[in-house]
Amino acid sequence: MAPAIEGMAPAVESSEGNNKMSKGYQYPSWKKKLRGLLVDNAELCRIVEKGIMGLCGVETQAVETGEAAVELIASGATFDLIVIDRFLPSMTGAQTARKMREMGVESKIIGLFASYFEGDEEDFVAAGVDDFKEKPLSPNWLVPILRELDN
Amino acid sequence: MEVGQMQRRLAEYTKSLFMEGILDAQFLQLQQLQDESNPDFVVEVVTLFFDDSEKLLNDIARALDQQCVDFKKIDAHVHQLKGSSSSVGAQRVKNACVAFRNFCEEQNAEGSLRCLQQVKQEYNLVKNKLETLFRLEQQIVAAGGSVPMIESSF
Repeated sequence: MAPAIEGMAPAVESSEGNNKMSKGYQYPSWKKKLRGLLVDNAELCRIVEKGIMGLCGVETQAVETGEAAVELIASGATFDLIVIDRFLPSMTGAQTARKMREMGVESKIIGLFASYFEGDEEDFVAAGVDDFKEKPLSPNWLVPILRELDN
Repeated sequence: MEVGQMQRRLAEYTKSLFMEGILDAQFLQLQQLQDESNPDFVVEVVTLFFDDSEKLLNDIARALDQQCVDFKKIDAHVHQLKGSSSSVGAQRVKNACVAFRNFCEEQNAEGSLRCLQQVKQEYNLVKNKLETLFRLEQQIVAAGGSVPMIESSF
């Protein structure tokens, strides 16, 4: 069967209950148990991004604000990957990233934004973010990053 | 119409949405996220998109109608609409938002109004098409058939 999406393993079709053929796209499985934290205030984006991170094998917790994310970390939670939206209601994405770095977080932090305007990156870079992505978050983009984390 | 025909019709219809650029590969991701534990994921997310968008479009229209137009606020709404449309794969809506943001940056009310019309048009189009798509799926399921996965190499 031809690869359904460039860069992804070929689809394996199977029919399982529920009147819909279930997906069978082979995502790589990881040696380590990868844990992710997603910070996005927009509900729809959060749902989709959490799903995609899960699909890529990252066990993901999703929160709506920078404050909530910082609280989680303060309580001792650790993550391999942190994905933060640029625009959050009070503490911005950049401020959240900066706070996390100040707290000693060394995990990979990815900045997410819905649209890009020149200068947007500097904020994030200055805050200690490792990489950025314009939404949507895609498996093709994420998997190579995860592969690095897994090694 | 028998199930095989319905499935072919659905496949053709879906393909046309990609060919016309109304949907992009992100929509396929949504389908990937649908499974036995999440059987209505696509419809749920798309419904959320409809609700979100309608509210945002109304908010934008209201803001543009004010004596003193708050372009920052409008820009924030458009930014959010761009985020959600890109998350569901509504490509033309997303692209219309990009143009819109430029006019907001320039504080151009006339240009913004035009863009709003454009975004509304694209939104209504994708809404219409997706509702039709879901209807076609329901017909197949009602007839006892299953809805095939899409392959993307269009």
